[in-house]
Amino acid sequence: MKRFFNIVFYHFILVSSIISIQSCETEIEPELAALEPLITVDAWLNSMSGEQVIHLAKTTAYFDSSEQPKISGASVSVSDNAGNTFVFDEAEPGKYTWARADSSSFITLNTSYNLEIVYEGDLYTAVSEARRSPVIDSIMVERREEELGQPEGYYAQFFAKDFEGEGDTYWIRTYKNDEFLSKPSEINIAYDAAFSAGGNFDGFTFINPIREGVNPFDEDENEEDLSPYVPGDRIRVEIWSTTEEAFYFLSDVANLTNREGGIQALFESPIYNTTTNVLVNNEESDKVVGFFNTSMVESMEKVIEEITE
Amino acid sequence: MKVSVKLLQIFLFISPLFFSSTAYCQGKLTISGYIKDQGSGETLIGATVYVEEIENGTVSNVYGFYSISLDPGEYTVNYRYVGYESQVKKIVLNENTKVDIELGEAGEQLEEVVVTAEAENANVTSLEMSVNKLDIKTIQQIPSLLGEADLIRSIQLLPGVSTAGEGASGFNVRGGGVGQNLVLLDEAPVYNSSHLLGFFSVFNPDAVKDVKLIKGGIPAQYGGRLSSILDVRMKEGNMKKFSASGGVGTIFSRLTLEAPIVKNKGSFILAGRRSYADILARPFTASTSFSDAALYFYDVTLKSNYNIDEKNRIFLSGYFGRDVFNFDEGQGFSWGNTTTTLRWNHLFNERLFSNLTVFYSDYDYALKFGDDGEDEFSWDSRIINYSIKPEFTYYLNPNNELTFGGQAIFYDFKPAETSAISDGEVGSITLDDKYGLESALYIANQQTLSPKLTLQYGLRLSMFNYLGSSTAYEFDNPERGERRNPISSQEFGGLETIERYMNLEPRFNVKYQLNDNESIKASYNRMAQYIHLISNTTASNPLDVWTPSTNNIAPQKADQIALGYFRNFKKNQYEASVEVYYKKIHDLVDYIDGADLLINEFLEGDLLAGEGRAYGAEFYLKKNTGKFNGWISYTLARSERLVEGINNNEWYASRFDQLHNLSVVAFYELNERWTFSGNFAYNTGTPNTFPNSRIEVQGYVIPHSNNEARNNVRIPDYYRLDFSATLYRKKKPNRKNDSNWVFSIYNVLNRENPFSNYFTVSDEFRNSRETQAFQVAIFGSIIPAVSYNFKF
Repeated sequence: MKRFFNIVFYHFILVSSIISIQSCETEIEPELAALEPLITVDAWLNSMSGEQVIHLAKTTAYFDSSEQPKISGASVSVSDNAGNTFVFDEAEPGKYTWARADSSSFITLNTSYNLEIVYEGDLYTAVSEARRSPVIDSIMVERREEELGQPEGYYAQFFAKDFEGEGDTYWIRTYKNDEFLSKPSEINIAYDAAFSAGGNFDGFTFINPIREGVNPFDEDENEEDLSPYVPGDRIRVEIWSTTEEAFYFLSDVANLTNREGGIQALFESPIYNTTTNVLVNNEESDKVVGFFNTSMVESMEKVIEEITE
Repeated sequence: MKVSVKLLQIFLFISPLFFSSTAYCQGKLTISGYIKDQGSGETLIGATVYVEEIENGTVSNVYGFYSISLDPGEYTVNYRYVGYESQVKKIVLNENTKVDIELGEAGEQLEEVVVTAEAENANVTSLEMSVNKLDIKTIQQIPSLLGEADLIRSIQLLPGVSTAGEGASGFNVRGGGVGQNLVLLDEAPVYNSSHLLGFFSVFNPDAVKDVKLIKGGIPAQYGGRLSSILDVRMKEGNMKKFSASGGVGTIFSRLTLEAPIVKNKGSFILAGRRSYADILARPFTASTSFSDAALYFYDVTLKSNYNIDEKNRIFLSGYFGRDVFNFDEGQGFSWGNTTTTLRWNHLFNERLFSNLTVFYSDYDYALKFGDDGEDEFSWDSRIINYSIKPEFTYYLNPNNELTFGGQAIFYDFKPAETSAISDGEVGSITLDDKYGLESALYIANQQTLSPKLTLQYGLRLSMFNYLGSSTAYEFDNPERGERRNPISSQEFGGLETIERYMNLEPRFNVKYQLNDNESIKASYNRMAQYIHLISNTTASNPLDVWTPSTNNIAPQKADQIALGYFRNFKKNQYEASVEVYYKKIHDLVDYIDGADLLINEFLEGDLLAGEGRAYGAEFYLKKNTGKFNGWISYTLARSERLVEGINNNEWYASRFDQLHNLSVVAFYELNERWTFSGNFAYNTGTPNTFPNSRIEVQGYVIPHSNNEARNNVRIPDYYRLDFSATLYRKKKPNRKNDSNWVFSIYNVLNRENPFSNYFTVSDEFRNSRETQAFQVAIFGSIIPAVSYNFKF
């Protein structure tokens, strides 16, 4: 729903600026009390070939931008409901990896997985399931004039159809020239074909804002808006299936990190803590944060071609 | 249900007790009538009628009617109203007598009258406490944003009233939420009192006659919200002659017309406003991609009344307002209120006054994105209600004034009707309408026990039926603070009761007069609220929905006690009061973290019930008369909540909690032509939620609070100074038209008052891990404005 609000108020702000209701903001440096570090589990496994990676680290103070302390010496493994166990080795401090010789993944459709981490005598566990992900039919590129505050240029959208049956959830990850579009505003998630469970938009082609959520909006050094893509750019779209819990986790991440300020501050909900699906010694605990999710992935790539009018 | 029958029996049993006391006033005679403004024929609300011989009196009701029963004899009756010249009548009472009075405005006579006109001591002598009245002239003098007199922004300068910040819709009374105020426009509820978010309110000051804010000791005739009643009464229209007034301002233009339909029998008033910033901006937007954008708001207020005969008078009033934000021709959103009220005043006899109100009120919003037929999304939501409300006032004798009546409101909530087209495929979702019937019966008596001691005691019995047709869900019961999921559902047919609630709401006020200039007052009220504003954002916004109490959402309830000391100085030139209050709220509506409040069939699963408490002290000093007048209001208060699953299950300060809140409002009349106004507002910064640590997952830096704190850090204090100067046209005898220029400066100190903070990651480049915090100010500069007003 956050996305929905953002779309509404993005326009609202643009229009408001016409009558010069303009807000202003100042950077502040509040002193935030330092607190106990928590264990962070960052385990997002997928069906793509290549190594599977799980990161373990400790949280730091909010304004501390240095590397987070890594958790070394944990034993990490994932098992599936067929009785297979996949042991992750610590490739570098805090980074635990698993790979096959043919580099294929062990994540397969409709399989459930258990994550098990033993660290300093505590057992950390989480469960996930690899759910279905729809095939991308096409990536369409158009050249557009400047419209409603969006710059003139090349815009992409992908076409794919949500499965029949309510409750499919997806994380659409986009790469421009191999760079993951990682800004909080670029988090593109879908519940069925739309934004939220209540939207009840099942079995359709993804709605337009999701299809077009693959366009980066960046500025050049003169703060001029750049066209999302230019001819020659390569776009890669991946649809990762998620569990419903992971969808809500990502939804919270978007809600908490994509804060715009300005007049939109009027419509922000207070920040809160994300949930975790990781248990400590089989119990919920506030000593651990992060998430374990397993995804089936469908993807498509395209090189942007020049369009002449 | 058994309980309810019992209560009803008690209720019915009590009422005749009051009537039986009529026996002892046999032989009494009544003086009754209407009190009106001499110039326009508008009735005056709350004018004092004081009978010297019995050292007692009454006040005119909201329709200007008064009645007082006395033994036969000769009486000296004083008719007084603030800002008007008093009249004294000698009345020989040997039969029921009707005395209609027209009072003349003090200021219109002679200059010195203003200075010497005797101020009223009504604030000391009346039973009312925790009540603030603002007359429209005062509202028009307060320096305002962009020079537009504004009712809601004006009441924010009164004790006990605050706001979450500049631009936030609505207002907070004694620690209550925005949705806990019942805003009535001629008795019909207004669900969103703001235009353009919270910058302007929907009331056109030119059409408003009287504004009364009741914060505590709420009389039994009002109910349905926990924290306050804002009772706005529209003008009736000039009964004597045609008149027009209006203004041209920076943001609006206004025009009001009023005229008699039949002289002294009926009249009407028609008032309209429209903003035109978009039109002014057109030359600048024409060449941009916003050439088809539109942003405007307007409202139209119409009211007419007719005196059928001495005993019957009818009023028809309506309001229609809308905000429109269109990005281009086919896309945008809009919202607005519509209300219609029909009232019938009927005098059964000199002592029994009745009013029957029937109203319709509707708040809706609509939005639409996409207009190419391939990809579209549209959404409509509304809340409609119909109500009937009979009220009776029985003027038993000078010592007892009985009010009783009832109300029934039928609600139709339409949370979402959406239609969506994605890549040519059409889908739609319409959430079930939710229906509710809120009904109430009340009775209250105002009793003067001795010249010093006055009581008002009342009882309101309120009921709510959550009705079908609808699907009622039962939810699971996870750890508090987490989303509850539906486990079973049941279908209910049309008008079938799904859940029923009932509350007995006692109301009590007492005043003890220490002497002519001093009194102490105390009050207690219990309030029940059956419909809830669902909003988890800092400020309420136009897309917020209202939802009824259901089988999963209990009604909110509040108990409040207040104690006050009232004192006037220097022949009532100064009035002062100190009040303390404590309010406890039960079943306050709160939200789970990450709640999905829009278009959610299972909304109930995302709501939490909590407790609230608010307490404080309010100090008020007002200078009523003289060339230099105004007021100082200071509130020391706390507003806190306790919700399982939030803030580690500990009490936390609400988003609009302000320990200190100070307003100074001053007016200075330099001479016939120039008047200067200033106001200064200061309040403690409101609390915001700050994280203390960071989680890094998948490259995102996520704020986290290790102790799950909510509203744990205060933003800097707020203060603002505004000035305005009004230049009147030279006064000449016999000149009928009048005009003035208002020059105003909002935020003279050019302060960037913080509204909130937010935390983010530097967006200079992707994958940045550098966290930042910003403080947002909605207005960061001086805002000057000029407006021109006229009247003829």
